[in-house]
Amino acid sequence: MYEEPYRWIEAVANRRQYLDDQFTQGNPLVGVSFSQGILLLTFNRGTEKIYEIYDRIALGGMGHPADLEKLRYTLLDMAHVEGFQRSPADVTASRLMKNGLAPVIKQAFEEIFKAPYIAKILLAELGTIQDRDRLFTINYDGMFEEQREFGLLAASSSVRGLLAPEWKTHGSLSSLQSALEVSLRLWGIASLLQASTPFPDNDEEGTVPSSTAPVSTMPNDEAIASRIRDMLSKETLECVLLDRESGKMETYRALSLPELQPFIPSVFQPAT
Amino acid sequence: MGQQGDFLQVLRERGYAVDDLRHPVNGNGLSGNTEVTTGTTVFAMKYGEGVLVAGDRRATAGNVVMYDRTDKVLELDRFSVLAIAGVPATAFEMARILEHSFKYYRRSQLQDLSFEGKLRALSTLLKNNAPAALAGTGTVAPIFAGYDQLEGCGKIFFYDILGAEFEAVEYAVSGSGSPTIRGILFYMNRWGRGPVAGLDEEEALVFVLRLMTSAAEFDSATGGVDAHAQLYPIVKRISAEGVKTISVERLKTLFSEKVLNHV
Repeated sequence: MYEEPYRWIEAVANRRQYLDDQFTQGNPLVGVSFSQGILLLTFNRGTEKIYEIYDRIALGGMGHPADLEKLRYTLLDMAHVEGFQRSPADVTASRLMKNGLAPVIKQAFEEIFKAPYIAKILLAELGTIQDRDRLFTINYDGMFEEQREFGLLAASSSVRGLLAPEWKTHGSLSSLQSALEVSLRLWGIASLLQASTPFPDNDEEGTVPSSTAPVSTMPNDEAIASRIRDMLSKETLECVLLDRESGKMETYRALSLPELQPFIPSVFQPAT
Repeated sequence: MGQQGDFLQVLRERGYAVDDLRHPVNGNGLSGNTEVTTGTTVFAMKYGEGVLVAGDRRATAGNVVMYDRTDKVLELDRFSVLAIAGVPATAFEMARILEHSFKYYRRSQLQDLSFEGKLRALSTLLKNNAPAALAGTGTVAPIFAGYDQLEGCGKIFFYDILGAEFEAVEYAVSGSGSPTIRGILFYMNRWGRGPVAGLDEEEALVFVLRLMTSAAEFDSATGGVDAHAQLYPIVKRISAEGVKTISVERLKTLFSEKVLNHV
């Protein structure tokens, strides 16, 4: 019955709605570029969401753990074979995204008789200088975007648009402390906006672009702080630094909570 | 197969000849006038604070010096080092495969490959390379040294060209200059002022420079130290903190004060 064009479009719209529903309970993931490197941050309930892919490339994911694993392996295989047969310098997030992830995710999304990937992915690539940092995000339908300074995964891609003005108020970040502070704040806003946006990337017909999704009001400072305090007391803060100053080929470093604790602003610290 | 963290399998699936790195020439050896690049001195020894691994810089083919700045002590990951002796083409390829295998395993399995697992990986490569080794086109006899995080100590292993694996109690040597070094180490441990394993870092580094100089004295394929050309052996230290390269400045100072001008 899906041979008819209308049926196929309807099936894709249904699939979009189904996928949007899957992400509503997920935690957003923030990536910011700053002078020392790229900081990736999210909260998890036990299963990690940020992984090392190659010497200067990290992956952050949102969605079903099994799908994320499958896509992670696709990237690992591609990156390591490329790095081995050519050079580590030839392994770039741009090529991994455009030649590796995007075609696979898009094909799975459009093959309506098969299960799609329940996954949104952020790929961060550390440059030798900050200007060369890149953050790629890809949606469950294979649509990807490239950013230089700030990347976000959230249930609705409209959240990123809402966060853009907030990001611009911070200017350039010069330390791990400022990068962590801003990332936590952006994460808090994204989380609250996500919770208040009922139909993320999809209207009834499934044809309205995400930029026109319902606009929520920006949460106030107390609401943001309260949200982060709540998360710090209930879930695990997951934070990774791609460190430009490591002095080594491999730049990926997971930051532990005790390491981060001194940098977390007191207003975000849960009451002991 | 990548789900098991096996990078060799990933390469095989993509058609890379990982099990046959170097075809034997003419089926049973080298053609008459072919000189394969070989000849070297590498060694690893335990000392008071860990393990030191050193290699000279010279690559030769027969009587010809091909290159004097070769790096034969290769870091495979943060805790292990491969010192290569034999045909560089095959040895460097093995080191590259191992480096990527260890990285791939750590990133895919989210844990480091065990020390034992790393040894097996090297043995497998050597075993698969046996036909080329016997033919003389791919002979490799490496030393593997690393820090075993499970047991909390530095370890040294050496291999024959077919992949047989031996653990060294105090030191291991390989390459054409190794008989000289082996003799000195045996003498020092038996009749010296004390076991080499008891030396502190400075004493051990001076000893390494003297050993390399001695090997170069009797083996034309060993580069030794050339202070005029600023050529010093590659020396790496392995400890609980990982692998660290000893700086040329430090070797230069020690060589000048304790080797060249020592009475």
